[in-house]
Amino acid sequence: MSSRPQAAIEVRALQKKYVTWRGRIRRTRHENVALAGIDLTIHAGELFGLLGPNGAGKTTATKILTTLLLPDAGEAWVLGLDVIRQTDAVRRRIGFVFGGERGLYWRLSGLDNLRYFADLYRIPPDVSRRRINGLLDQLGLAGREHDKVEVYSRGMKQRLHLARGLLNDPEVLFLDEPTIGLDPVGARELRVLIRNLADAGKTIFLTTHYMFEADAICDRIAVIKKGAVVAEGTPTSIKRMVENQGVVEFEVVGISADRVSMLRTLPDVRSVSVTERDLAQIVTIHCANPADLMTRLGGVLDGISFERISSREPTLEDAYVQLISDPS
Amino acid sequence: MKALQAEIAIFARSTFLQYAALFQWATVRGYVGYKIVLPVTQILFFVELGVYAAGSQSALYFALGNAMQITANAGIFGVIATVANERQYGTLPILLASPANRLVTFMSRAVVNVIDGAASVAVGLAVTVVLFGLDLHTANVPLLALCVLTISLTTAGLGLLFGSIGLVMRDAIVIANVVYYLLLIFCGINFPVSRLPGGLQVISYCLPLTRGVEAARLAVAGGPINQVGGLLAGELAVGLAYALCGYALFRVLESYSRRGGLQEAY
Amino acid sequence: MSSLARAAFQAFWISMRLRFVSSFAILGWLLFPTIFAAVGLYVLVRPGVTHSQLAYAVLGGGLLGYWGVAYLDGGLSIQNERWSGTLEHIFAVPTPLWVILLGKVCGSVLWGMLSFLPTLALAYFGFHAVLPAIDAGPFVISFAVLTFSFLVVAFAFAPLFALWRWALPVLNGFELGFYTFCGFMFPIAILPGWAQPLSAVLAPAWATRAVYASTTPSGPHDYGVWWLVSVGLSLLYLAGAVLLYRLVDGRARKSGELALA
Repeated sequence: MSSRPQAAIEVRALQKKYVTWRGRIRRTRHENVALAGIDLTIHAGELFGLLGPNGAGKTTATKILTTLLLPDAGEAWVLGLDVIRQTDAVRRRIGFVFGGERGLYWRLSGLDNLRYFADLYRIPPDVSRRRINGLLDQLGLAGREHDKVEVYSRGMKQRLHLARGLLNDPEVLFLDEPTIGLDPVGARELRVLIRNLADAGKTIFLTTHYMFEADAICDRIAVIKKGAVVAEGTPTSIKRMVENQGVVEFEVVGISADRVSMLRTLPDVRSVSVTERDLAQIVTIHCANPADLMTRLGGVLDGISFERISSREPTLEDAYVQLISDPS
Repeated sequence: MKALQAEIAIFARSTFLQYAALFQWATVRGYVGYKIVLPVTQILFFVELGVYAAGSQSALYFALGNAMQITANAGIFGVIATVANERQYGTLPILLASPANRLVTFMSRAVVNVIDGAASVAVGLAVTVVLFGLDLHTANVPLLALCVLTISLTTAGLGLLFGSIGLVMRDAIVIANVVYYLLLIFCGINFPVSRLPGGLQVISYCLPLTRGVEAARLAVAGGPINQVGGLLAGELAVGLAYALCGYALFRVLESYSRRGGLQEAY
Repeated sequence: MSSLARAAFQAFWISMRLRFVSSFAILGWLLFPTIFAAVGLYVLVRPGVTHSQLAYAVLGGGLLGYWGVAYLDGGLSIQNERWSGTLEHIFAVPTPLWVILLGKVCGSVLWGMLSFLPTLALAYFGFHAVLPAIDAGPFVISFAVLTFSFLVVAFAFAPLFALWRWALPVLNGFELGFYTFCGFMFPIAILPGWAQPLSAVLAPAWATRAVYASTTPSGPHDYGVWWLVSVGLSLLYLAGAVLLYRLVDGRARKSGELALA
């Protein structure tokens, strides 16, 4: 067995693939690689963000680290404990929040949900009573704990999930897309809570596909794409990956695929993306030399009216978009 | 002509996809469990009960009655489950907001279940003939097949009514279970309807299956075609009444849901 | 140990509370056994009914309901955990899965006993049918042995629902088969030859035989043998369940199907 690392979370060459079956009578086997061999190190007290698009492997990585899934290859430790062989010990010291509409007993009250899981986590009754009251206050659920979960708002359910994840006062907390589906106010409140937990000394492993969220609260980030980590570092260091680049954006009505392809052939253009907004399209071009590009645009876009052309510094989102869309 | 062909193609495709998308047993394992093992074990159980009560000569009576009742498995469970599962998966609002022809959408839910129901009966009967060595040499097989098809249609009609109720009731599948098992008491499956109290017999003759089972027993005994035909006509009338009520309720509830909003299943 | 007992009790208590608000769970002990009891009473209670047939008519519906609830209810609660998305959370807690399921199946068995209320009431008030005789001591012990066998079977089947999404349709399909081969509503002696070995390996079948023997004055009364065989088979199932629980933990975590509804 490899030597036990000292980091809060250590992942080495982790691999996982899912097998699916297609067809009803003659079934064919297909493999979907969720993790292609990832390495991560998260230090105690860090708020670490794993960023990636849907299907990149974020939830798979989280489930392996929370002992819900066995990897096909590789190793992972949480607090120096092997997640494959020391599951019981790991489970006692971690908490996790998958969030969403599912995962709670809707016909029970918030308080009953917490009491039930407190017993399943084998927390002594006096400790759980005190802790539940504290969590209800801290997470803004006090006064609503006797209501059935089915009448809770989306934000309240998410906070109840978080309360459950904190019942055993975990040293490491795993949050899988905790703000998804929340309104902006609710999401911001939750981010503040998460940051406070990290500041209080908990190690937090957060997955998200909201770049601004990772930028706002994470100490370090890794970007995952198709089961592989393509970048890792602080938000600042990741933004530096696109430091010598700029972004040119403009609004146009009715740009053809041919014109977009022509834009991609311009010198020093890294990527071109088009997003629909009402009747118009917003074209975003990542390039090394925005000033030079702007002089060339006129030639490519001849005959098309465009407006609100601007150039700006790249954001973490730009870096992320480039990282996940870069074919290399 | 082309337009009609296109409509038929759409109808066929949508009925198959509804079945595949919404049915728990739309897999080999699920199908074997619900559509073969369950019906066969039901017939086995009641035949043995009947033999214990009244001797081995009663085996055919119980086998036939329960085999007919099995069509209700598809006709009721299948149709109600379609609606209930639409609510569970959250696709019901999408369906109701679509421009799809309502009558076609509504009736298409029953079509595959009718075929499914008839197939289940065929399997059930075949197995019991083998297991119990039942003698069907006096049976008018085509007439028996007609009885099976008729019952499949009429139980689907009942299913359509309760399926519409499933638009507003969260536990429509619970209703499906209740109705399916109550048929064992009311429809002359395991004992004659005449043994029920008078008031309950009225319920029996207002339900599908009662006349159909009687017709099937006559067909197996080689009874007169006109008598069987009369019973099947009555059976069809009952089934049609349920289907029409179901459709009417479907349209009323659709309009109600647009005014007040659907209560989605969790 | 006390924390494990507390966890098991909470699993029992929460599952009971969820049953109380589930229409399906209520129908499970109230309506479905009553329907089967009604059919049994109509079929069996007729002029010339024997003591044995009367006993089967009176108790059969209740036993069917008892079994039907106990056998599937534990697994159904797992299925419900899967549908509501809480199954993964149950797996990820420090309390072993078998402790949680033990609490749930104790609740299932208790809930299943309620089946006797409507079915005995129907027999008495609807058909004026009562048990022809009852030898209290053997009856109570036989019923306890039967309960133990139900508990073990439910406990052994429950993890299948965690492991395998298709457990419900497959096991649901076999429910009436168990009614037949366990002899809940008629003696297994009347079954065809090919069915006898199937009954012989079912622990509830032996206990059921003892239950009915204690309610009819005539016929064999080999209680000792029947109890021993039933308990022995139950313990065998328990040994199998231990292996199954170990398998479930590994396989469920490997396949990643815990989250799939």
